[in-house]
Amino acid sequence: MKIKFGVLVAPVVGFALATALPLLAHHSFSAQFDGSKAIRVQGTLAKIEWTNPHTYFYIDVKDEAGVVLRWGCEAGAPAALSRRGFKRGDLKLGDTVIVDGYRAKDGSRLMDARRVTLPDGRIVSGASEGDGGPQVPQVPDPAGKKQ
Amino acid sequence: MKTFFLATGALALLLSPLGALCQQNDPNSKTAKPGPTPRTADRHADLTGYWKSTRDSKFFWHIGKDLPDRNLPFTPAGEAALKHNQTATKDPESLCIIGGAPRHNVTMMPFEILQGTRKVAFLYGDGSYRLIPIDPQRKHSEDPDPAFFGEEIGRWEGDTLVIDSVGFKDEKIWIDEYANPMSDALHVVERWTRPDAEHIHVETLIDDRKFYTKSFTYSRTWITGEPDDQVREFSCSENNVDEQHLGFGPGPVRKDGTIGYEDPAPLPPPIPRSPAPKE
Repeated sequence: MKIKFGVLVAPVVGFALATALPLLAHHSFSAQFDGSKAIRVQGTLAKIEWTNPHTYFYIDVKDEAGVVLRWGCEAGAPAALSRRGFKRGDLKLGDTVIVDGYRAKDGSRLMDARRVTLPDGRIVSGASEGDGGPQVPQVPDPAGKKQ
Repeated sequence: MKTFFLATGALALLLSPLGALCQQNDPNSKTAKPGPTPRTADRHADLTGYWKSTRDSKFFWHIGKDLPDRNLPFTPAGEAALKHNQTATKDPESLCIIGGAPRHNVTMMPFEILQGTRKVAFLYGDGSYRLIPIDPQRKHSEDPDPAFFGEEIGRWEGDTLVIDSVGFKDEKIWIDEYANPMSDALHVVERWTRPDAEHIHVETLIDDRKFYTKSFTYSRTWITGEPDDQVREFSCSENNVDEQHLGFGPGPVRKDGTIGYEDPAPLPPPIPRSPAPKE
Protein backbone atom coordinates (compact mmCIF):
# COMPACT_ATOMS: atom_id res chain seq x y z
CA MET A 1 0.00 0.00 0.00
CA LYS A 2 1.27 3.42 -0.93
CA ILE A 3 2.28 5.48 2.07
CA LYS A 4 1.02 9.00 1.83
CA PHE A 5 1.60 12.13 3.80
CA GLY A 6 -0.24 15.37 3.45
CA VAL A 7 -1.20 18.56 5.18
CA LEU A 8 -4.54 19.89 4.10
CA VAL A 9 -5.27 23.55 3.61
CA ALA A 10 -8.02 24.67 5.92
CA PRO A 11 -11.13 26.12 4.27
CA VAL A 12 -13.41 27.85 6.70
CA VAL A 13 -16.16 25.46 7.66
CA GLY A 14 -17.92 25.52 10.98
CA PHE A 15 -18.31 22.41 13.09
CA ALA A 16 -21.31 21.68 15.23
CA LEU A 17 -20.86 21.88 18.95
CA ALA A 18 -20.36 18.64 20.78
CA THR A 19 -23.40 16.42 20.86
CA ALA A 20 -21.94 13.65 22.99
CA LEU A 21 -21.60 14.12 26.71
CA PRO A 22 -17.93 14.77 27.29
CA LEU A 23 -16.19 13.01 30.15
CA LEU A 24 -12.64 14.05 30.99
CA ALA A 25 -10.10 16.45 29.58
CA HIS A 26 -6.51 16.62 30.64
CA HIS A 27 -6.27 19.94 28.85
CA SER A 28 -8.27 21.89 26.34
CA PHE A 29 -7.78 21.02 22.70
CA SER A 30 -7.05 24.59 21.74
CA ALA A 31 -4.29 25.03 24.34
CA GLN A 32 -2.17 22.55 22.39
CA PHE A 33 -3.53 21.97 18.90
CA ASP A 34 -4.25 24.23 15.97
CA GLY A 35 -7.81 23.94 14.72
CA SER A 36 -6.83 25.54 11.42
CA LYS A 37 -4.32 22.84 10.56
CA ALA A 38 -6.14 19.66 9.71
CA ILE A 39 -3.94 16.78 8.70
CA ARG A 40 -4.15 13.15 7.60
CA VAL A 41 -1.27 10.88 8.49
CA GLN A 42 -1.13 7.42 6.96
CA GLY A 43 1.66 5.03 7.70
CA THR A 44 2.95 2.08 9.63
CA LEU A 45 2.29 1.74 13.33
CA ALA A 46 5.70 1.78 14.98
CA LYS A 47 4.84 2.20 18.65
CA ILE A 48 1.80 2.30 20.91
CA GLU A 49 1.67 3.87 24.34
CA TRP A 50 -1.61 2.80 25.90
CA THR A 51 -1.19 5.20 28.81
CA ASN A 52 -2.69 7.98 30.86
CA PRO A 53 -3.39 10.81 30.44
CA HIS A 54 -3.40 10.07 26.69
CA THR A 55 -2.84 7.12 24.43
CA TYR A 56 -0.21 7.68 21.75
CA PHE A 57 0.23 5.98 18.37
CA TYR A 58 3.52 6.59 16.67
CA ILE A 59 3.28 6.21 12.92
CA ASP A 60 6.21 5.99 10.53
CA VAL A 61 5.58 7.82 7.30
CA LYS A 62 7.91 7.81 4.31
CA ASP A 63 8.02 11.11 2.49
CA GLU A 64 8.54 11.58 -1.25
CA ALA A 65 12.30 11.54 -0.76
CA GLY A 66 12.11 8.23 1.02
CA VAL A 67 12.88 9.69 4.43
CA VAL A 68 10.93 8.10 7.25
CA LEU A 69 9.34 10.57 9.62
CA ARG A 70 7.68 9.51 12.85
CA TRP A 71 4.42 11.19 13.83
CA GLY A 72 2.94 11.07 17.31
CA CYS A 73 -0.85 10.86 17.39
CA GLU A 74 -2.48 11.76 20.69
CA ALA A 75 -5.76 10.09 21.54
CA GLY A 76 -7.95 9.82 24.58
CA ALA A 77 -7.14 7.96 27.76
CA PRO A 78 -7.36 4.16 27.52
CA ALA A 79 -10.57 3.98 29.56
CA ALA A 80 -12.26 6.52 27.29
CA LEU A 81 -11.22 4.68 24.11
CA SER A 82 -12.25 1.37 25.56
CA ARG A 83 -15.73 2.69 26.31
CA ARG A 84 -16.06 3.45 22.59
CA GLY A 85 -15.08 -0.08 21.66
CA PHE A 86 -11.55 0.88 20.68
CA LYS A 87 -9.35 -1.63 22.48
CA ARG A 88 -5.60 -2.02 22.60
CA GLY A 89 -5.89 -5.30 20.69
CA ASP A 90 -7.40 -3.50 17.69
CA LEU A 91 -3.93 -2.42 16.67
CA LYS A 92 -0.61 -4.21 16.37
CA LEU A 93 2.78 -3.00 15.39
CA GLY A 94 3.25 -2.96 11.64
CA ASP A 95 -0.40 -2.22 10.91
CA THR A 96 -1.22 0.49 8.40
CA VAL A 97 -3.22 3.14 10.17
CA ILE A 98 -4.80 6.35 8.98
CA VAL A 99 -5.20 9.14 11.51
CA ASP A 100 -7.04 12.37 10.84
CA GLY A 101 -6.71 15.28 13.20
CA TYR A 102 -4.98 18.56 13.91
CA ARG A 103 -1.36 19.55 14.26
CA ALA A 104 0.25 20.73 17.47
CA LYS A 105 0.63 24.49 17.69
CA ASP A 106 4.34 24.25 18.38
CA GLY A 107 5.00 22.80 14.92
CA SER A 108 6.25 19.44 16.19
CA ARG A 109 5.27 16.16 14.56
CA LEU A 110 2.52 15.69 17.09
CA MET A 111 -1.15 15.65 16.20
CA ASP A 112 -4.48 15.26 17.91
CA ALA A 113 -6.10 12.07 16.65
CA ARG A 114 -9.76 12.97 16.11
CA ARG A 115 -10.49 10.05 13.79
CA VAL A 116 -8.64 6.74 13.42
CA THR A 117 -9.20 4.34 10.53
CA LEU A 118 -8.19 0.89 11.70
CA PRO A 119 -6.69 -1.82 9.47
CA ASP A 120 -10.06 -3.58 9.26
CA GLY A 121 -11.66 -0.41 7.94
CA ARG A 122 -13.49 0.51 11.14
CA ILE A 123 -13.43 4.18 11.90
CA VAL A 124 -13.24 5.13 15.55
CA SER A 125 -12.99 8.38 17.38
CA GLY A 126 -9.62 8.90 18.98
CA ALA A 127 -10.63 12.21 20.48
CA SER A 128 -9.81 13.14 24.03
CA GLU A 129 -13.23 13.61 25.54
CA GLY A 130 -14.25 16.87 27.04
CA ASP A 131 -11.41 18.87 25.50
CA GLY A 132 -13.62 21.23 23.53
CA GLY A 133 -12.06 20.17 20.26
CA PRO A 134 -13.80 19.89 16.88
CA GLN A 135 -16.38 17.15 16.89
CA VAL A 136 -16.22 14.54 14.19
CA PRO A 137 -19.53 13.18 12.89
CA GLN A 138 -20.03 9.46 13.34
CA VAL A 139 -19.43 7.42 10.21
CA PRO A 140 -22.16 4.88 9.46
CA ASP A 141 -20.95 1.33 9.12
CA PRO A 142 -22.18 -0.28 5.89
CA ALA A 143 -22.91 -3.35 8.02
CA GLY A 144 -25.31 -1.23 10.02
CA LYS A 145 -23.26 -1.04 13.21
CA LYS A 146 -22.31 2.28 14.79
CA GLN A 147 -18.63 3.14 14.63
CA MET B 1 -68.69 24.11 25.18
CA LYS B 2 -68.83 20.35 25.86
CA THR B 3 -67.32 19.76 22.43
CA PHE B 4 -64.53 22.22 23.22
CA PHE B 5 -63.61 20.43 26.46
CA LEU B 6 -63.77 17.04 24.81
CA ALA B 7 -61.53 18.23 22.02
CA THR B 8 -59.12 19.79 24.50
CA GLY B 9 -59.04 16.63 26.57
CA ALA B 10 -58.45 14.52 23.48
CA LEU B 11 -55.66 16.84 22.43
CA ALA B 12 -54.09 16.63 25.87
CA LEU B 13 -54.23 12.84 25.77
CA LEU B 14 -52.72 12.87 22.32
CA LEU B 15 -49.89 15.18 23.32
CA SER B 16 -49.03 13.65 26.70
CA PRO B 17 -46.97 10.75 25.30
CA LEU B 18 -45.35 13.29 23.00
CA GLY B 19 -44.48 15.36 26.05
CA ALA B 20 -43.08 12.29 27.76
CA LEU B 21 -41.10 11.47 24.64
CA CYS B 22 -39.70 14.98 24.52
CA GLN B 23 -38.72 14.69 28.15
CA GLN B 24 -37.10 11.31 27.55
CA ASN B 25 -35.16 12.86 24.69
CA ASP B 26 -34.05 15.63 27.03
CA PRO B 27 -30.32 14.99 27.47
CA ASN B 28 -30.58 16.36 31.01
CA SER B 29 -32.99 13.64 32.11
CA LYS B 30 -32.84 9.88 31.84
CA THR B 31 -36.53 9.21 32.33
CA ALA B 32 -39.74 11.17 31.97
CA LYS B 33 -40.44 10.94 35.69
CA PRO B 34 -37.30 10.51 37.79
CA GLY B 35 -37.81 8.61 41.00
CA PRO B 36 -37.77 10.28 44.40
CA THR B 37 -34.63 11.30 46.23
CA PRO B 38 -33.07 8.21 47.82
CA ARG B 39 -32.37 8.43 51.54
CA THR B 40 -29.83 6.99 53.93
CA ALA B 41 -30.69 5.13 57.11
CA ASP B 42 -30.40 8.39 59.06
CA ARG B 43 -32.97 9.94 56.68
CA HIS B 44 -30.65 12.37 54.94
CA ALA B 45 -30.80 12.75 51.18
CA ASP B 46 -28.36 10.22 49.76
CA LEU B 47 -25.93 11.85 47.36
CA THR B 48 -24.16 8.58 46.65
CA GLY B 49 -23.76 7.92 42.95
CA TYR B 50 -21.76 8.42 39.77
CA TRP B 51 -22.40 11.86 38.31
CA LYS B 52 -21.75 13.16 34.84
CA SER B 53 -22.27 16.43 32.98
CA THR B 54 -25.56 17.55 31.57
CA ARG B 55 -25.85 20.13 28.83
CA ASP B 56 -27.65 22.79 30.86
CA SER B 57 -25.16 25.46 29.85
CA LYS B 58 -22.48 25.70 27.24
CA PHE B 59 -20.55 27.94 29.64
CA PHE B 60 -20.29 25.64 32.59
CA TRP B 61 -16.50 25.82 32.21
CA HIS B 62 -16.69 29.49 33.35
CA ILE B 63 -16.95 30.28 37.08
CA GLY B 64 -18.91 33.45 36.28
CA LYS B 65 -21.48 31.82 34.02
CA ASP B 66 -24.36 32.94 36.23
CA LEU B 67 -23.25 36.57 36.19
CA PRO B 68 -24.59 38.98 33.54
CA ASP B 69 -22.41 38.48 30.43
CA ARG B 70 -20.13 36.39 32.65
CA ASN B 71 -18.43 39.58 33.83
CA LEU B 72 -16.34 38.70 36.84
CA PRO B 73 -15.90 41.57 39.37
CA PHE B 74 -12.10 41.63 39.36
CA THR B 75 -9.99 43.70 41.68
CA PRO B 76 -6.81 45.15 40.12
CA ALA B 77 -4.91 42.24 41.68
CA GLY B 78 -7.42 39.84 40.13
CA GLU B 79 -6.97 41.40 36.69
CA ALA B 80 -3.23 41.04 37.00
CA ALA B 81 -3.55 37.43 38.16
CA LEU B 82 -5.81 36.62 35.22
CA LYS B 83 -3.33 38.10 32.77
CA HIS B 84 -0.54 36.11 34.37
CA ASN B 85 -2.54 32.89 34.06
CA GLN B 86 -3.41 33.58 30.43
CA THR B 87 0.07 34.60 29.26
CA ALA B 88 2.60 32.94 31.51
CA THR B 89 1.01 29.84 33.00
CA LYS B 90 0.30 26.43 31.59
CA ASP B 91 -2.93 24.90 32.78
CA PRO B 92 -2.00 23.28 36.09
CA GLU B 93 -4.23 20.29 35.37
CA SER B 94 -2.30 19.68 32.15
CA LEU B 95 0.82 19.43 34.33
CA CYS B 96 -0.96 16.78 36.39
CA ILE B 97 -1.60 19.11 39.30
CA ILE B 98 -5.06 18.44 40.69
CA GLY B 99 -7.61 21.13 39.98
CA GLY B 100 -9.14 21.08 43.43
CA ALA B 101 -12.13 23.15 44.43
CA PRO B 102 -14.11 24.82 43.06
CA ARG B 103 -12.61 23.93 39.67
CA HIS B 104 -13.74 20.31 39.89
CA ASN B 105 -17.32 21.62 40.02
CA VAL B 106 -16.66 23.54 36.82
CA THR B 107 -15.11 20.90 34.57
CA MET B 108 -16.61 18.12 32.50
CA MET B 109 -15.03 15.55 34.77
CA PRO B 110 -17.37 12.88 36.13
CA PHE B 111 -17.20 12.13 39.81
CA GLU B 112 -18.53 9.66 42.29
CA ILE B 113 -19.88 10.37 45.76
CA LEU B 114 -19.77 7.84 48.56
CA GLN B 115 -21.80 9.11 51.47
CA GLY B 116 -21.27 7.95 55.02
CA THR B 117 -22.60 9.23 58.29
CA ARG B 118 -19.44 10.97 59.43
CA LYS B 119 -17.70 11.55 56.11
CA VAL B 120 -18.59 12.08 52.49
CA ALA B 121 -16.07 11.12 49.82
CA PHE B 122 -15.90 12.77 46.40
CA LEU B 123 -13.89 10.66 43.95
CA TYR B 124 -12.89 12.35 40.69
CA GLY B 125 -12.12 11.03 37.25
CA ASP B 126 -8.54 12.33 37.44
CA GLY B 127 -7.81 10.14 40.41
CA SER B 128 -8.09 12.94 42.98
CA TYR B 129 -10.50 12.86 45.88
CA ARG B 130 -11.68 14.83 48.85
CA LEU B 131 -13.04 13.65 52.17
CA ILE B 132 -15.54 15.93 53.84
CA PRO B 133 -16.01 15.46 57.59
CA ILE B 134 -19.63 15.91 58.61
CA ASP B 135 -19.40 17.81 61.87
CA PRO B 136 -21.62 20.81 62.57
CA GLN B 137 -19.59 21.61 65.70
CA ARG B 138 -16.23 21.81 63.94
CA LYS B 139 -14.57 25.15 63.22
CA HIS B 140 -11.88 25.95 60.68
CA SER B 141 -8.24 25.92 61.80
CA GLU B 142 -6.57 29.17 62.74
CA ASP B 143 -3.85 28.52 60.15
CA PRO B 144 -4.90 25.73 57.81
CA ASP B 145 -2.36 24.04 55.58
CA PRO B 146 -2.97 25.33 52.04
CA ALA B 147 -4.63 22.70 49.91
CA PHE B 148 -6.04 22.42 46.39
CA PHE B 149 -9.42 21.45 47.84
CA GLY B 150 -8.98 23.70 50.86
CA GLU B 151 -9.89 22.72 54.40
CA GLU B 152 -13.46 21.42 54.18
CA ILE B 153 -16.10 21.09 56.87
CA GLY B 154 -19.49 19.59 56.14
CA ARG B 155 -22.87 19.82 57.81
CA TRP B 156 -26.46 19.06 56.94
CA GLU B 157 -29.15 21.68 56.67
CA GLY B 158 -32.24 19.58 56.10
CA ASP B 159 -31.63 17.80 52.81
CA THR B 160 -28.76 20.10 51.82
CA LEU B 161 -25.15 19.10 52.36
CA VAL B 162 -23.21 22.28 53.06
CA ILE B 163 -19.44 22.16 52.48
CA ASP B 164 -17.54 25.16 53.81
CA SER B 165 -13.92 25.46 52.60
CA VAL B 166 -11.05 27.85 53.27
CA GLY B 167 -7.26 27.54 53.14
CA PHE B 168 -6.64 27.23 49.41
CA LYS B 169 -3.39 27.20 47.50
CA ASP B 170 -2.43 30.47 45.81
CA GLU B 171 -0.16 29.11 43.10
CA LYS B 172 -0.53 26.53 40.35
CA ILE B 173 -4.29 26.67 40.58
CA TRP B 174 -7.01 28.07 38.34
CA ILE B 175 -10.58 28.57 39.48
CA ASP B 176 -12.02 27.41 36.15
CA GLU B 177 -11.13 26.31 32.62
CA TYR B 178 -10.74 29.90 31.43
CA ALA B 179 -7.68 30.49 33.64
CA ASN B 180 -9.62 32.80 35.93
CA PRO B 181 -7.64 33.20 39.15
CA MET B 182 -8.21 32.33 42.79
CA SER B 183 -6.21 33.38 45.83
CA ASP B 184 -5.52 32.02 49.28
CA ALA B 185 -8.24 34.37 50.56
CA LEU B 186 -10.93 32.30 48.82
CA HIS B 187 -13.88 31.07 50.85
CA VAL B 188 -16.15 28.57 49.11
CA VAL B 189 -19.55 27.42 50.40
CA GLU B 190 -21.16 24.62 48.43
CA ARG B 191 -24.77 23.59 48.92
CA TRP B 192 -25.42 20.14 47.47
CA THR B 193 -28.93 18.77 46.94
CA ARG B 194 -30.45 15.78 45.20
CA PRO B 195 -33.86 16.87 43.96
CA ASP B 196 -34.70 13.43 42.57
CA ALA B 197 -33.10 10.06 41.86
CA GLU B 198 -31.39 11.22 38.65
CA HIS B 199 -29.97 14.62 39.48
CA ILE B 200 -27.57 16.30 41.83
CA HIS B 201 -27.23 20.04 42.11
CA VAL B 202 -24.78 22.46 43.67
CA GLU B 203 -24.95 26.13 44.45
CA THR B 204 -21.38 27.35 44.96
CA LEU B 205 -20.71 30.65 46.70
CA ILE B 206 -17.35 32.17 45.72
CA ASP B 207 -15.95 34.82 48.04
CA ASP B 208 -12.39 35.94 47.29
CA ARG B 209 -11.93 39.62 48.16
CA LYS B 210 -8.29 39.61 47.11
CA PHE B 211 -9.21 38.98 43.47
CA TYR B 212 -12.94 39.75 43.28
CA THR B 213 -14.70 42.81 44.67
CA LYS B 214 -17.80 40.89 45.69
CA SER B 215 -19.03 37.35 46.12
CA PHE B 216 -20.95 35.54 43.42
CA THR B 217 -22.47 32.12 42.86
CA TYR B 218 -22.06 29.28 40.40
CA SER B 219 -24.76 26.65 40.08
CA ARG B 220 -24.76 23.39 38.21
CA THR B 221 -26.66 20.13 37.84
CA TRP B 222 -25.29 16.69 37.00
CA ILE B 223 -27.11 13.54 35.96
CA THR B 224 -26.56 10.04 37.25
CA GLY B 225 -24.55 7.58 35.21
CA GLU B 226 -25.34 4.01 34.24
CA PRO B 227 -25.59 1.40 37.01
CA ASP B 228 -22.11 0.03 36.29
CA ASP B 229 -20.41 3.41 35.84
CA GLN B 230 -17.65 4.22 38.26
CA VAL B 231 -14.55 6.35 38.33
CA ARG B 232 -11.63 4.41 36.94
CA GLU B 233 -7.91 4.34 37.47
CA PHE B 234 -6.14 7.35 36.05
CA SER B 235 -2.48 8.15 36.47
CA CYS B 236 -1.91 11.59 35.00
CA SER B 237 1.87 11.62 35.19
CA GLU B 238 2.29 8.16 33.67
CA ASN B 239 3.13 9.59 30.24
CA ASN B 240 2.52 13.32 30.18
CA VAL B 241 3.89 14.10 26.73
CA ASP B 242 1.78 17.26 26.57
CA GLU B 243 3.81 19.13 29.14
CA GLN B 244 6.45 20.08 26.59
CA HIS B 245 4.01 21.00 23.85
CA LEU B 246 1.36 23.04 25.61
CA GLY B 247 1.03 26.76 25.27
CA PHE B 248 0.10 29.20 28.02
CA GLY B 249 -3.46 29.87 29.04
CA PRO B 250 -6.62 28.05 27.99
CA GLY B 251 -6.29 28.58 24.24
CA PRO B 252 -8.40 30.77 21.98
CA VAL B 253 -11.91 31.81 23.01
CA ARG B 254 -14.65 32.02 20.39
CA LYS B 255 -16.83 35.11 19.86
CA ASP B 256 -19.64 33.37 21.72
CA GLY B 257 -17.39 32.99 24.75
CA THR B 258 -16.77 29.25 24.53
CA ILE B 259 -13.21 27.90 24.41
CA GLY B 260 -12.06 26.64 21.05
CA TYR B 261 -11.50 27.60 17.45
CA GLU B 262 -14.12 29.68 15.66
CA ASP B 263 -14.12 27.71 12.41
CA PRO B 264 -11.82 24.72 12.61
CA ALA B 265 -10.66 23.27 9.34
CA PRO B 266 -12.57 20.20 8.23
CA LEU B 267 -10.89 16.84 8.43
CA PRO B 268 -10.31 14.90 5.21
CA PRO B 269 -13.38 12.87 4.29
CA PRO B 270 -13.50 9.47 5.97
CA ILE B 271 -12.45 6.48 3.93
CA PRO B 272 -15.57 4.47 3.10
CA ARG B 273 -15.61 0.98 4.45
CA SER B 274 -16.72 -1.58 1.93
CA PRO B 275 -19.53 -3.83 3.15
CA ALA B 276 -18.64 -7.50 3.50
CA PRO B 277 -19.57 -9.52 0.40
CA LYS B 278 -22.82 -11.46 0.75
CA GLU B 279 -22.36 -15.21 1.01
